[in-house]
Amino acid sequence: MSQFQRFLAKRLAISIGLTLIAVSVIFVVLRLLPGSPFEALVTSGNLNQQQINEIRALYGLDQPMWRQYIDYMVSILTFQFGYSILRSQPVWDVLEPRLVNTLILLVPALVTTAILSSALGMYAGWNRGSLLEKSSIITTTFLRSTPVFITAIFFIIVFAYNLELVPAFGMRSVTASPEGYVDTFLSIDFLHHYLLPFTVAVLYYSGDFLLLARNGIVEKRGSEFLKLHKAKGLTEMQQLARAGRNSMLPILTYFALRLGMIFQGLILLEVVFGWPGIGRELVLAIQQQDYPLVQAAVFIMALAVIIANLAADVLYAYFDPTVSTGGGSSA
Amino acid sequence: MTLLDVENLKVTYTTEDDTVHAVNDVSFSIDEGVNYGLAGESGSGKSTIAEALLGLLPGNGTVERGKITFNGRDITSLSDTERRDMLWEDIAYIPQSAMDSLDPVMSTGDQIIQAIQAHRSVSDEKARSRVEELFEIVGLDPDRIDDYPHEFSGGMRQRVTIAMALALEPDLIIADEPTTGLDVIVQDKIIDKILEIQERMDSSLLLITHEIGVIAETCDELSILYGGKVMEQGSVDNVLVNPTNPYTMGLKNSFPEIDGSNEDAVAIPGSPPNLNHEPTACVFKDRCPFATDECGDSHPDLVSLPNRNHRSACHHVDKAAQMRRDAKNPETWDIPEAEDTATDTGEVVLETDNLEKYYEQSQSLLSQFRGEDPDYVKAVDGVSLSVRRSEVVGIAGESGCGKSTLGETMALLEDPTGGEFVFDGEPYEYYQNSNLEEFRRKVQIIFQDPFDSLNPRQTVRKLVGEPLTIHDYRSDEHEQAIIETLEKVGLTPAEKFLDQYPHELSGGQRQRVAVAKALVLDPDFLICDEPASMLDVSLKVNLLNLLRELADTEDIGIVYISHDLASLMQVSDRLAIMYLGRIIEEGAVDRIANQPKHPYTTSLLSAAPEKDPTTDRARVLLDGEPPDPVDLPTGCKFAPRCPKAEEECWATEPALDESEDEDHRAACYFPDDETAETAVEASQTDDPDQSTNAGSLSD
Ligand SMILES: Nc1ncnc2c1ncn2[C@@H]1O[C@H](COP(=O)(O)OP(=O)(O)OP(=O)(O)O)[C@@H](O)[C@H]1O
Ligand code: SF4
Ligand code: SF4
Ligand SMILES: [Mg+2]
Repeated sequence: MSQFQRFLAKRLAISIGLTLIAVSVIFVVLRLLPGSPFEALVTSGNLNQQQINEIRALYGLDQPMWRQYIDYMVSILTFQFGYSILRSQPVWDVLEPRLVNTLILLVPALVTTAILSSALGMYAGWNRGSLLEKSSIITTTFLRSTPVFITAIFFIIVFAYNLELVPAFGMRSVTASPEGYVDTFLSIDFLHHYLLPFTVAVLYYSGDFLLLARNGIVEKRGSEFLKLHKAKGLTEMQQLARAGRNSMLPILTYFALRLGMIFQGLILLEVVFGWPGIGRELVLAIQQQDYPLVQAAVFIMALAVIIANLAADVLYAYFDPTVSTGGGSSA
Repeated sequence: MTLLDVENLKVTYTTEDDTVHAVNDVSFSIDEGVNYGLAGESGSGKSTIAEALLGLLPGNGTVERGKITFNGRDITSLSDTERRDMLWEDIAYIPQSAMDSLDPVMSTGDQIIQAIQAHRSVSDEKARSRVEELFEIVGLDPDRIDDYPHEFSGGMRQRVTIAMALALEPDLIIADEPTTGLDVIVQDKIIDKILEIQERMDSSLLLITHEIGVIAETCDELSILYGGKVMEQGSVDNVLVNPTNPYTMGLKNSFPEIDGSNEDAVAIPGSPPNLNHEPTACVFKDRCPFATDECGDSHPDLVSLPNRNHRSACHHVDKAAQMRRDAKNPETWDIPEAEDTATDTGEVVLETDNLEKYYEQSQSLLSQFRGEDPDYVKAVDGVSLSVRRSEVVGIAGESGCGKSTLGETMALLEDPTGGEFVFDGEPYEYYQNSNLEEFRRKVQIIFQDPFDSLNPRQTVRKLVGEPLTIHDYRSDEHEQAIIETLEKVGLTPAEKFLDQYPHELSGGQRQRVAVAKALVLDPDFLICDEPASMLDVSLKVNLLNLLRELADTEDIGIVYISHDLASLMQVSDRLAIMYLGRIIEEGAVDRIANQPKHPYTTSLLSAAPEKDPTTDRARVLLDGEPPDPVDLPTGCKFAPRCPKAEEECWATEPALDESEDEDHRAACYFPDDETAETAVEASQTDDPDQSTNAGSLSD
């Protein structure tokens, strides 16, 4: 087996191990929580004990713990998420649209900010000490340290209520009843609803990328190879591009990790803007102790993070020609 | 015709609390087709001059005054665009540190193509084939233009930068220390290459270096710089043969000679001047043994000596002949004659037998995916060596021969993959299983660049005390241990240094702190891996003397690894020459210096530059690079490059004890001394210079 394959195999093994652990932790935590999803139904008097027992048997909740655990592992790892207890709908049917809604909001926001803020950060780092550098750092630090819902509410007040440019709430107008994703997302109405949360998300993510890019450039400035690039007669912009390429790896890695975390949604943002995303759904599901739904959602989120980690490692090895994927070098 | 004319150049750097007067009214001019040398110790302003010429000064550097005329144009007044157009097209640059001057994430070929396309609109294919051509010219494999810098050795990277400099056939090439940090053989080849190419292209060369030997061999004219001032200037033959300036005399003295003669190199005592004010006295006054009151009043002007191309800045040029005579005597410089102690060496402290360290080779991503079996690099391939207490064993060899790996394996920083290893009577397994802590305390290693290994935010007390804390050694008398060690390495009074930060120390003092850090644990064994490669001569000489003294007084065994034969000869008792992971010759220093047996040793010895421009050195330029350590020939590993190789050599590998001399072992069937004549007769491929050459070095 070659070194890279070994590297890949090792990373994969670690990822699989992490997945198993994560899944088990989800199982344990959910069982430890007090109460059961049926309590609400029972107390409301809609079900009698007989019916409850039947339903419990249906969901396998009458089995011994270890049996439940095995069944749970087998089904979740084969992506059979079962039925939502409260919605009596396959879990995946509940989760899928929410996940898509979240991704359609956050992925473009993340990509946009990764490109724009990194470029701005690099430029700021190159012109160290300039007004641009100082003001961009202050602004982003401010944005980073303000909770996202405050920014969101501020934007809503200004743009939705005062200027009345865009709607404040939801993903589509109440009257719209689109069929399928294409119909949902390809409309002016959607765009209207989209702009505000998108902008807030861009701002929310921007700080880290900006600082990362700026620090990378500051560190590379004054290095010997840039001096040689300058001596060759490259323009400032060409030099900056080289410095940028040289400090790109941490940004790339960070981007991959962030991308994994996007599957969790931005709960506060979704709540404030009434965006029907996965974060909001998860909170609801936890409140109602809808085990299958929570399990599946958390599993998807954990899996996304683990895969993103793996991707980050592989990307790093791929984009850095000097990374030897194992062992030392000769003298 | 004058190509470059520098007139009264003055450059300052502003720092937080000071202004550094780095270059003070320097003037010189370079004619077309002339090789010009700039020499001087570290900090004398050499690089600053180069950067000012190229407009590469960092943000805090300013050209205060002065005129730089290139081809009749004043280049200080060029606009940014005009300057960009001139760079590389007319003036190309070979940077000081090839190691990190190449963009690590761009292939070497692309970097050169970029230089070409920044100035000329040529198609990618044209540019590529030009790069292949350039690779060929500088002696690199044209198929490797898509390789990244880290895939090349130091010497090869330097060749890449040279190829880059040649790309547009500029009128002037500024080479800033193009060979520092490279071993002698590579250095010799690079210099040879630069000269050859430059001859062909008829460009001028401004060569910056602190090795006056290199200048003596390659340049027509030179300026000697000190403290940002030109001390002496003129044709190389005049200045280096008959120096008229005390600084030049001192500089010349401080180069150790490779001839095993016991004439130690004499460093100029003291440290370079503080540059935080405009020079009011002679900049060399504090270290000059001939200084008088007059010297304190003003810095002397550069005056021309009658009837020759020679200028000197000294108030006492008229007494030059007398000063030259006195300068030869170490007492003039206030240096006590080092008494040659024939050191008694103690018992063996570390011994290796057939030690091996193999590395699995990294492969291209593609073959990694395909799952091809990796090859092994035999970095250390059966080394048997023993070191006694109070003994300094030098290990020499070209870059890539495995000497650093050997050091690291001896320090158990790398696990040996084969062979025996005994330290202090206990085998490797003993230390590997649980007693590593003890080993780490008893064996210390000093790395290539001790400057960088000192954390700038820690005081000397912290730095030196750190190992004590880690190993919980002498924990109740920390302070005492630190002070004792500082005194041991010559930092007296120790109390004065305790609270200083590295940047407040001079280079030599920092070096000593790094050594103190290694010594504070009272080790039994010290491994020094090129500790002086980045230092200039006087610091280097000091460090060597310090190590020598430590070996004698502290009873520790020292392994000194370097590519610099001259320093090795000075510090070691015994010398081992390494080639491709093996030791090919081993013996007492003077035996090796005077009667090298192995042809490789002979060529190593002959590659060192001669500082006297009048003697013509017979170079034994070895063919090619060392063979690929993965695909070694079966017989003598040196056979592909050996001028004396015969059939026998290709068949089986000679053992180290081939020469049947216990004290001077060499792995060669035809060792140079006795068999020299017969070998010459027997082989036509032999270089007739070889035998005479070995002799000429020892006179
Ligand atoms: N960016 C900088 N800021 C402040 N001082 C500097 C800077 N660069 C160099 N100096 C100072 O200017 C002086 C001359 O430095 P320079 O690099 O020209 O020396 P050099 O002769 O090239 O030395 P070396 O042989 O070590 O390369 C030194 O005292 C150095 O400390
Ligand atoms: S001027 Fe004086 S101090 Fe300077 S080099 Fe000459 S003798 Fe020495
Ligand atoms: S054994 Fe032969 S090839 Fe090897 S060094 Fe001696 S003469 Fe050269
Ligand atoms: Mg320099």
